[in-house]
Amino acid sequence: MTNYDVIIIGAGSIGVPLSFYLSQKGLSVLVLETLQSAGRGQNRAAIGGIRATHSDPAKIIICRRTIDIVSRIEEEYGYDVHWISGGYLFPVYTEKDEVNLKNLLEFQKQYELNINWIGIDEIEELVPGINTEKLRGGTYSPEDGSASPLKLIDAFYMLAQQQGVDFHFNEAVTGFETAGSRIASVNTDQEKYSAGLIVDAAGAHSRELGAFLNLDIPVYPDSHEAGITEPVQRFFEPMIVDIRPEAGSANYYFYQNAEGQVVFCITPDPKIPGTDCDNTSVFLPQVVKRMVHLYPRLRNLRVRRTWRGLYPMTPDGFPIVGFAKEYINLLLTTGMCGQGFMIGPGLGEILSEIIVDNNTEYKDILKQLSLYRSFSGEEILN
Amino acid sequence: MSRIHQHPVLEIPENRKKVRFFFKGKEFSGFEGEAVSSALIANDVHTFNIHSRSDTPQGLFCANGQCSHCTLIINGFPLKSCVTPLQENMEIFPLIHLPEIPKDDQPLENHRKIIEQCDVLVVGGGPSGLTATIELTKLGFSVILIDDKTRLGGKLLLQTHKFFGSIEDCHAGTRGIDIGQKLETDLQQYSNVRVFTNSSVVAIFKDQKAGIFLENHRYIIVDFKGLIVSPGAREKSLVFPGNNLPGVYGAGAFQTLVNRDLIHSSDRVFIIGSGNVGLIAAYHALQAGIQAVGICDILDNVSGYKVHADKIQRMGVPIYLNHTILSAEGDGKVEKITIAQVDKQYQPILDTAKTFEVDTLLIAVGLTPVDEFYDMAVDFRFKAVKAGDAFEIAEASSAMFGGRIAGLEMAKLLGKEIQIDPEWSEKVEILKSKPGKIYAPLNIQLNDSFQPVIYCDEEIPCNPCISVCPVNAIQLEEKLGTIMDIPRYLGDCTGCGLCLLICPGLAITLARKLDDSSAEVILPHEYLPDFKVGDRIPVTDQTGQYLEDAEVLKIRFNKKHKTHLIYIKSSLKNGPKISGIRVQSPKVTESVSEPSFNYIPENGIVCHCEMITVQELIDYIKEHNIRDVNQLKQARVGMGACGGKNCSVLLPRVFQMAGVNWKEVTTGTKRPLSVEVPMYALINEETSD
Repeated sequence: MTNYDVIIIGAGSIGVPLSFYLSQKGLSVLVLETLQSAGRGQNRAAIGGIRATHSDPAKIIICRRTIDIVSRIEEEYGYDVHWISGGYLFPVYTEKDEVNLKNLLEFQKQYELNINWIGIDEIEELVPGINTEKLRGGTYSPEDGSASPLKLIDAFYMLAQQQGVDFHFNEAVTGFETAGSRIASVNTDQEKYSAGLIVDAAGAHSRELGAFLNLDIPVYPDSHEAGITEPVQRFFEPMIVDIRPEAGSANYYFYQNAEGQVVFCITPDPKIPGTDCDNTSVFLPQVVKRMVHLYPRLRNLRVRRTWRGLYPMTPDGFPIVGFAKEYINLLLTTGMCGQGFMIGPGLGEILSEIIVDNNTEYKDILKQLSLYRSFSGEEILN
Repeated sequence: MSRIHQHPVLEIPENRKKVRFFFKGKEFSGFEGEAVSSALIANDVHTFNIHSRSDTPQGLFCANGQCSHCTLIINGFPLKSCVTPLQENMEIFPLIHLPEIPKDDQPLENHRKIIEQCDVLVVGGGPSGLTATIELTKLGFSVILIDDKTRLGGKLLLQTHKFFGSIEDCHAGTRGIDIGQKLETDLQQYSNVRVFTNSSVVAIFKDQKAGIFLENHRYIIVDFKGLIVSPGAREKSLVFPGNNLPGVYGAGAFQTLVNRDLIHSSDRVFIIGSGNVGLIAAYHALQAGIQAVGICDILDNVSGYKVHADKIQRMGVPIYLNHTILSAEGDGKVEKITIAQVDKQYQPILDTAKTFEVDTLLIAVGLTPVDEFYDMAVDFRFKAVKAGDAFEIAEASSAMFGGRIAGLEMAKLLGKEIQIDPEWSEKVEILKSKPGKIYAPLNIQLNDSFQPVIYCDEEIPCNPCISVCPVNAIQLEEKLGTIMDIPRYLGDCTGCGLCLLICPGLAITLARKLDDSSAEVILPHEYLPDFKVGDRIPVTDQTGQYLEDAEVLKIRFNKKHKTHLIYIKSSLKNGPKISGIRVQSPKVTESVSEPSFNYIPENGIVCHCEMITVQELIDYIKEHNIRDVNQLKQARVGMGACGGKNCSVLLPRVFQMAGVNWKEVTTGTKRPLSVEVPMYALINEETSD
């Protein structure tokens, strides 16, 4: 039985950066992945937004770290991941949303986030041609941005490989052997392995994984649909998030990536639970109508492709990160609720500091994101 | 203006409305409603845009709305010119790199979602889709038939040659264009079919609906119970340096330009691939007054029907077997191409290079089925049947029959209790047979009265000559017992000439002895004669060897078959050998005296949408240790407008070149949409202008 310092289950948005940071600190790491290559779970479906302007301390701290990493990754390691610091804009059309976002702003400012309420003129400058009818202003965070999910995971995959991380693709975990409060081995359809630490980075599939250990990991995936247009010259800057709900859908958001393509995604309401990632006829007319209404200039853009991805949701909309009480060598880092792409790099680096350097600075994060919390809150910006 | 003004088969419409338009501010004229791309090519404009990634010129490529190579700025909007109808006073500019989105800020007002219902959705109105639709409508099913062209008939409409097969089963001996028209007319009798032309199916959705990009400006969702997938085939692409130059395109695009739009799109073409598609492209070129400089094939034998190859060679088009393309070169468009012989490992022998000055290079290296919608429908457990080339690449003759079977199979799936005549399947099998054995020619003695001399010596599924003979003077030689057998003349010819007129291969002449030294031969001729009675014209044997200059005795034109019959007087010994008239002088096909080429095979483009070279891909595969085609998306493969339609067939070879066994590689995931659709169309926005 091969032994590693760390075995990470899942070569996705979370597992791959974590494997790099752990190996960089000298640990031997194995990444097990059921699928055929890195990022083929939900990373492939991420649209690329990265923001630190969340509504809770843990994600603010983690994603601020991600922005720091991603904005420097080309300079530091030579990988162009198409980082654009285009900011996030939440245009506001109702009084209620204005009150809510302004309240949130106060909270966000406590964490020294660069986010402000801006007026219609400034919005029009950022998004020339936006529909200003009933527009009241909005929040804008210029330091948030976007990167290519495909390129970013590839960069971490390359970096991890260079550090000597073993990646086993097409290899599924079939169970565990336990010895008291320790996981003695990870069994796959091909081999058995042992490790000082086992990390659940299985995202949407964490519940199945937890079942092998009689652990209830409350991650329930639901599917969201996304699309991308042809490339055109850059014509607007930020990621635009329209939080107004409508019959059939909650929020939707879109931005223009480094290739010049507009990438967009909508949150269905009611949710579409389960792991089915096949497109239905509902999505395109639904999201396009909303986008063209908000930003008429989009109407002449051609939609090139659409896809579905899973949001591994938890009951309160926040991730689950922390050590399991039941098994001393099990670390959970899952249920990213659709934000794994923006959480992964920052969380990977922070976890490596916790695991290897015994850094205690982040204990509040682990407390907030603990599996043993009540899950009674509600993320307001999901 | 480069237009076709006369054609031996196609009628040149006279009442088309001429309109003026502007390209880069300069005034041009074209016909209202024709594709903007065709109007430009008719005005000798071949470079449409400059690609943003490679900074190289691009021109027309698919002529079918599938890629985005032909994008131009038309009245301020970036549009695919091959599916944009020309209108008076259009202002057209080339697209340099990425387009700027128009500042069209009018608020959204009127929009709607359109849903249509039917029993069966048929994707593609070519030979198989049409026959399937007819069978289904006869049985009372409601059908929606979608086709991306202006008219039904698919590739039949682009075929000016007579079709092979049998008369009773698949209209053998009738030209493709006429068969297409006939099927379209047949369909019009039925009221429970709705036809949407100029429309593409862009997605099959899990909720058993299809998304249709209607007439290039609207979007409808079709709710269906069964799906027939008959969109035909896609031309395979080929990697060689210069394969991205304007002027390099598929034989299908060429047929569209020449036979649909009647554009004299080129002066000189060279063709890669000796299958029926490539051979017929040469025939179409010559009919349109375009020089067909040659055909090359990497294999050591012609892959199409021998009668086609013989016919093309008789017309004066050389076929270079065991030859491959080295490069296409030119400043902004194709100006010359170079071919070379290959060794046993199919590697080019550079010493044997030949350079030809041509302005167009046609790729006709095979077809792949367009069956993605079928696979998707099967995944979704829908009731689905595929037909025609989507089922198996074969001649249109078998597609027509296969479509009927597909229609009945669908009826059964939808609960109709019917029997499908088992003979039909047997017939389809025969009609799609590959050519068989080749037989030695017979030694024929001419008599005082006319007799047919048959130059059809390869087993192919075709027999109209025996069907039309009023006295049963031609019969199949019973070897296989099917229509694959070779026709033989048995005696008692009345000289009516029906066999000459119907033979799709132009492989029958009538000949007789005139006196002890001379013979009279009647030759079918599908070109406009550029000679008159009394002239001496070069005639050849079956495979194009020059025999003599023979005197023209008579020129007749048969209207029904749109075929000329040329009566010539030749030497007696050549009488039973003469089978065609050389229409193209050997001078036309000469290579330049010194070959000149820049052979850097690594510079060939694999992904035309994103302009990715073989070398870039090999390097990426090696450096990133790629074993999953999906990972190539990081390098933009499959991320372009076409969604991997063109490059996916090339990838096995690219991985092999990168030292990776293709068997270890996970193939790419295909996702909708199959054709890009503008947002205004997706919501059926109606603007006030």
